[in-house]
Amino acid sequence: MSEPFVLAVPAKGRLQENAETFFARAGLTLMKPRGARDYRGAIAGLDGVEVAYLSASEITSQLAAGAVHLGVTGEDLVREMIPDADKRVVLIEGLGFGFANVVVAVPQAWIDVRTMSDIDDVTTSFRQHHDRKMRVATKYINLTRDFFSSYGIVDYRIVESSGATEGAPAAGTAEMIVDIATTGATLAANGLKVVEDGTILRSQANLVAARGATWGKDERDLARVILDRVAAQARARAFREVRARFAASTDMLVENAKRKFNIETPFGGPTAAGVLTLHCPPDQVYALTNFLRENGAEAVTVAELGYVFSRDNPLYAKLEAGL
Amino acid sequence: MLKPGPQTPDLNVLGTAMDASVTQRQESDARAETLVASYERAGYVRVAPAILQPAEPFLDLSGEDIRRRMYLTTAPDGDELCLRPDLTIPVSCDYLASSVAGKAANYCYFGPVFRHRSDAAAEFLQAGIESFGRADKAAADAEMMSLGLEATAHYGVPTPDIQIGDVALFASLIAGLDLPPAWKRRLIKDFNRKTNLAQDLDRLVLGGNNARPEYQGVLAALAGSDPKGAHALVTDLLSIAGINAVGGRSVGEIADRFLEQSALGASAKLPREVRGLIERFLSIQGNPDEGAAALRALARETKMTPALASALDQFESRTGFLEARGIDVKRVRFSTAFGRGFDYYTGLVFELTDPKRTGDPLVAGGRYDELLTRLGAANPIPAVGFAVWIERLAVYGGAP
Repeated sequence: MSEPFVLAVPAKGRLQENAETFFARAGLTLMKPRGARDYRGAIAGLDGVEVAYLSASEITSQLAAGAVHLGVTGEDLVREMIPDADKRVVLIEGLGFGFANVVVAVPQAWIDVRTMSDIDDVTTSFRQHHDRKMRVATKYINLTRDFFSSYGIVDYRIVESSGATEGAPAAGTAEMIVDIATTGATLAANGLKVVEDGTILRSQANLVAARGATWGKDERDLARVILDRVAAQARARAFREVRARFAASTDMLVENAKRKFNIETPFGGPTAAGVLTLHCPPDQVYALTNFLRENGAEAVTVAELGYVFSRDNPLYAKLEAGL
Repeated sequence: MLKPGPQTPDLNVLGTAMDASVTQRQESDARAETLVASYERAGYVRVAPAILQPAEPFLDLSGEDIRRRMYLTTAPDGDELCLRPDLTIPVSCDYLASSVAGKAANYCYFGPVFRHRSDAAAEFLQAGIESFGRADKAAADAEMMSLGLEATAHYGVPTPDIQIGDVALFASLIAGLDLPPAWKRRLIKDFNRKTNLAQDLDRLVLGGNNARPEYQGVLAALAGSDPKGAHALVTDLLSIAGINAVGGRSVGEIADRFLEQSALGASAKLPREVRGLIERFLSIQGNPDEGAAALRALARETKMTPALASALDQFESRTGFLEARGIDVKRVRFSTAFGRGFDYYTGLVFELTDPKRTGDPLVAGGRYDELLTRLGAANPIPAVGFAVWIERLAVYGGAP
């Protein structure tokens, strides 16, 4: 392989910590062999992978250009920065961190505005009364334009804002905003409220693959290994292992439990000794243990899982389908 | 991680290819020059506005949506500039800045415009005409269509499909309906956008979008009360709640619209007979004479004659001028719904297409009497014009 397989991860702050934790949980330890300030790293025990530490927006543009193979970045950036995103990248998996909702927010004083169709009406009458269009401050220019266009809203102008967007209406540089609302508290503190049907995107950090990168056999093999571990870890987190021993036949019991508790039977029926191993979603565990005890189990053990590897590799299948 | 750059092409091959395209371009330019020269002889002064234009007027008039099709750049001082996506706005701006602003003036142009198109080159040639300040609107409309037909004939497409609409008819219909102002605004906007009007009408008839449970009680209590008192109450409530008006809208404006919602009623619906009338109106089509007859009949039956009279007179007068110019009006296809989703037209809208090809326009134009006001003119100035797609015509029409 002439060029390395590149995995791009965020270079700074909470996103970097979360991404490193995420990969570490999947048994992929990111290392910086040449020191903490280096922006190039590797994965311990996995040769041929170069880890590039970049800003989230750089990761997004590198993915779009096909200059890196896999990257961790927010869906909000993917949708905003890459035209026809689904043609250029594959969103493989939401990673469970970096949550951010992109929302339309207006001043609380606008008691007559609750929905996007109110905004449609208000923007038009504003243009007629003030001889100019309402301004929307945002850094999400493309998301805003597409969303407003989907509601047929035309009488507005976008004012590009790269920081402290929620202050724009109070500062008089815009009438409303489109921005990230992580909690809503910042919006409220600035006298703004979210429009009811004004959530443009519920975003989180995603593992993203570049369709334009070089995907030869070597690259696919490496992606398969990485995604296999990520999937094994994700599946492990989605289940608890429940073990119990039964004296009698358990076929009916397992069928019932599958229906009631969404369990899986990774090893099929019980062992010769009558020990049954079940994988159960965490929120169903206690109910399942009761059910098993009521049906003849003497003791039930519940354990957390490290990894669950299976023959199929759903994340890799998703990547391959997208390439 | 540098990807290999594009291969250096064989210079000789490139040279030959360039020669061929230059020759082609020169021939195409010469043919268009002949067309523009004929416009000059007809009294249209040739102008050549700057290619680099301030982006503001385009975004303001066509909406943010056009941004995705424009080539934008930023000047060192922060001003947003663009490569002109059309010539109507640049010609209009230059006219307004000139000493003849407000007086009758006729212009023609020929040159490149720039729009992102996924299936064709972003730089393409347009010729066209802009006519400002003419009070004889019906005659001016007919002259534009006639000059547009000369353009297609010049390129060997003598009998294109002629499709026309008239935005003023729909505007007059809505203005004449007995409806709250909020709904008139809404319906005019629905007509102008590209979404499905039928769906919007459904929504209005069902009233689904107007349910606002949170304030229903207050709105119901305010409905029918003395408007002045209600207005003062809403204003007071806002200030008692310590809510400052931010973001450009005054408390008065907010109160007004809040009360307007109460006037509509919390579950207001568009009356079914109004919907029926709008649908019948928008289904009218045929040649201009058939269209006008159908419109007059509908107006008589629904007692809308006073509302539609002036727009219809204008329409019929235009048809008369078309005939006087030797255009066979039986060939003209008129539809009341044609012209939906066009940016800033206020009256006639027309398109010439090649019946044997795709529906892409060869010539497109119409009347935009509010354009110059929106560009800053103190008084309304009538404006009408059209643009010619030079390359498309050259391909469809074939060799000269």
